[in-house]
Amino acid sequence: MSAQPIVTQIGPKMRLIRVKCENTKTTCISVLLQMPLRKNTAEHLVLSSYLSHSSASFPTLQKLSERLEELYGAILSVDARKLGESYCLRLSITCLNDALALKEEMLSKEALELLLDLLLNPNVDGEAFNAKQLETELRITIADIESTLNDKRAYALHRMIETMCKNEPFGLSQEQLLRDVKNVTAKSMYTAWRTLLTEAVVSISVAGEQDFEEIETMLQERFSVLPNRQPVSPETVFIPRASEVKEVTEEMEVNQSKLVLGFRTGMQNKDDNFFAYRVMVDIFGGGPYSRLFNYVREKLSLCYYCAARLDRAKGIMVVQSGIEKKNKETAQKEILKQFDVMKNGTFDDAEFEASKAALCDLFRGIEDTAEGIDAFYSLKAEGDLETPANIIAGIQKVTRADVVAAANRVSLDTVYLLAGKQEV
Amino acid sequence: MANMKEIKSERLNESYYEIDHESGLKILIYPKANFKSSYAIFGTHYGSIDTDFRLEGEENYTSVPEGIAHYLEHKLFESEDLDAFQRYAKTGANANAYTTFDKTCYLFSCAGNLKESLDILMDFVTHPYFTPETVQKEQGIIGQEIKMCQDDPDWESLFSLLRAMYKEHPVRVDIAGTVESISHITADLLYKCYNTFYNLSNMALCVAGNVTPEEVLEVADRNLKKTAPVKIERKFHKEQKGVYKPYVEEALSVAAPIFSLGFKEAIETPERSLKEILLSSMLLDIIIGRTSTLYNELLEEGLLNTSFGTEYFNGYGYAATIFSGESPDAKEVQRRIIARIRDLQKTGIPEKDFLRVQKKYYGRAVMQFNDIEGIANSMVASYFCGESLFDETEIIEALTLEDINERLRTALDTENCALSVIKPEA
Repeated sequence: MSAQPIVTQIGPKMRLIRVKCENTKTTCISVLLQMPLRKNTAEHLVLSSYLSHSSASFPTLQKLSERLEELYGAILSVDARKLGESYCLRLSITCLNDALALKEEMLSKEALELLLDLLLNPNVDGEAFNAKQLETELRITIADIESTLNDKRAYALHRMIETMCKNEPFGLSQEQLLRDVKNVTAKSMYTAWRTLLTEAVVSISVAGEQDFEEIETMLQERFSVLPNRQPVSPETVFIPRASEVKEVTEEMEVNQSKLVLGFRTGMQNKDDNFFAYRVMVDIFGGGPYSRLFNYVREKLSLCYYCAARLDRAKGIMVVQSGIEKKNKETAQKEILKQFDVMKNGTFDDAEFEASKAALCDLFRGIEDTAEGIDAFYSLKAEGDLETPANIIAGIQKVTRADVVAAANRVSLDTVYLLAGKQEV
Repeated sequence: MANMKEIKSERLNESYYEIDHESGLKILIYPKANFKSSYAIFGTHYGSIDTDFRLEGEENYTSVPEGIAHYLEHKLFESEDLDAFQRYAKTGANANAYTTFDKTCYLFSCAGNLKESLDILMDFVTHPYFTPETVQKEQGIIGQEIKMCQDDPDWESLFSLLRAMYKEHPVRVDIAGTVESISHITADLLYKCYNTFYNLSNMALCVAGNVTPEEVLEVADRNLKKTAPVKIERKFHKEQKGVYKPYVEEALSVAAPIFSLGFKEAIETPERSLKEILLSSMLLDIIIGRTSTLYNELLEEGLLNTSFGTEYFNGYGYAATIFSGESPDAKEVQRRIIARIRDLQKTGIPEKDFLRVQKKYYGRAVMQFNDIEGIANSMVASYFCGESLFDETEIIEALTLEDINERLRTALDTENCALSVIKPEA
């Protein structure tokens, strides 16, 4: 059980969110840094690998991993991802609650120190990143981008977004990213890292049982050394309507074809009628009570999965399904037919109520654990702080008319098919 | 009246209740103070490897098509009236199910209406309803699920390895079966499997989070009828000691070659103890974990990347140590791993490495008690293995350097391994 979040500004566009949890087994700490997409994005992606493998104090993966094991197997993760037209680098650590350490070690403090060290005191040689380590990190990052091909569902989604958002920063292609990563140098890494610390919008979240005062002091001290912070808030382009439907089919040696449909939702910004959209997309293609599950999968037996997802930060909706190539037209027709049901408002009351109940249920349990709190609060770096309770209240207020209105602002933009070569 | 006892861990300041319900079902309840959400699992000790079985007293074994346990999992959600998902839609619970090699579990999570959702769970799992039409309908859905997995190179690589290591044991077959094998599944066969394995004496109900034993018992009392226990005999597939094939490869559309390397363990008894499992997992950390010299060398030389992982893979009648990842030269990785194991078998494991890994395992074992999903799943798994949930931290703390060196010498036979490689299509 946890208390309400306490938010403090500890620097320009730098906030600290603290949530006290009782009787937790862990402490979870995250630092989120948000930059405009396509500004040093390749460097940021390589940084996510580089910073999770070393620091000045622990200059090799082996040494860093030993340190983590000594901290009772503390779990470190660093990820980089798009959030609308921004790029977020997140460093997180989960460690054992201080009270449960065998020798009363102050694990949360040591874990925070380690996390800050990774970010603020990396393994550098003068004004460049360490060349030897960088060589390995570039290889890892390149292999990682290339292996998107191994996950056909993710690959098809990437290809759809690249087609749909070709003229927006959001449509950054894996190919372009790969080219950019290959041009990353030890020097460009250093410059990008310095710029990141100066210009990123930063949000730090700490969830646990320990004394927060000490942690806040530590954060203040460590971040106060950053010179002249001039953070810039990233802006995202929201395209209100699709102009014409783009259709792309690509072939590959696969057993199952992947159909991906991209829609413009009509949202003007990430808060524009968000709750109505959230419920609408969920009735359409969320849980097993949804239209797509019950009609495309259960009634027509066309697929194992067919689901819709709202990308709030970019104002788009995506439908994904794995099908037989020969069923592409039938599946697409049925998906669009079910979307007409959303627009006409002829979905059942039971579906509407089921969706709201399921969505509220989902957010109600988030504050049970430090992990849940950390995952919830470390997703965005600025803006009004939403709590699970705010979201539940917002969802509960949504009416059928809100849902229908939201559906009617949606337009189909792109139809992408990854088709099996051998399939008939 | 149900017989209830409380199992406590002073160290963790946690406890749970173990109940022998009069219906014959084992019920495990793990209340978490101040939690809003709960997680419930109703599981049966029945998975994809149980393809040949008989009840005590029966003369002949029944053989059923591969993939039937998973098929049954899909079909159980249906009833003559509303299917289970439609019923859960009213409570807001998030429901699902999964089938493994040796378990089938039906689950939900919720933050409210727990008793209503438990009613649904207990009712639909104990009331099968299959007709030829409903069975037929599922062919298309599961057929697509199988094809989706065939496009997953990690999954393919693992099963290709299992087919190379095992000649007879059904662990070599995909959990969902094949498009061909599932075409032989009928309503009658589903009932036969259901009536054998969904006997309450072969099942467990586990609930963790915002829950009290009284709530669960109230629902159990009204849903579960007393059933005579059954004794199931699973056919022991006599598996040869050595691997079936030492090397296999196939081509898929992948960016770089993917491999799985497995060391088959010669086992005298069908199941491994928790202590053996923990020791084998710790060995993997020591041989080639992130702190090992070997992993760091292979990473630097470009022979591995961060997608590399390891697993101590074991269940009824099978045990193997598996290494998998991406590599331009899987055979060289295999050679280096074997050399490292042999070195360690000669020199023994350095004490400082053992102590550090032991500390990590202790921390991880404790940290998992935040997570009610993990707790409920572990309760089911440990009950089916005959272990108690809190044994892990105690066992880890009592492990010694001698234990792990002994395990290193006996469980890892470097002569007995198989390598599977998925190559990019030309």
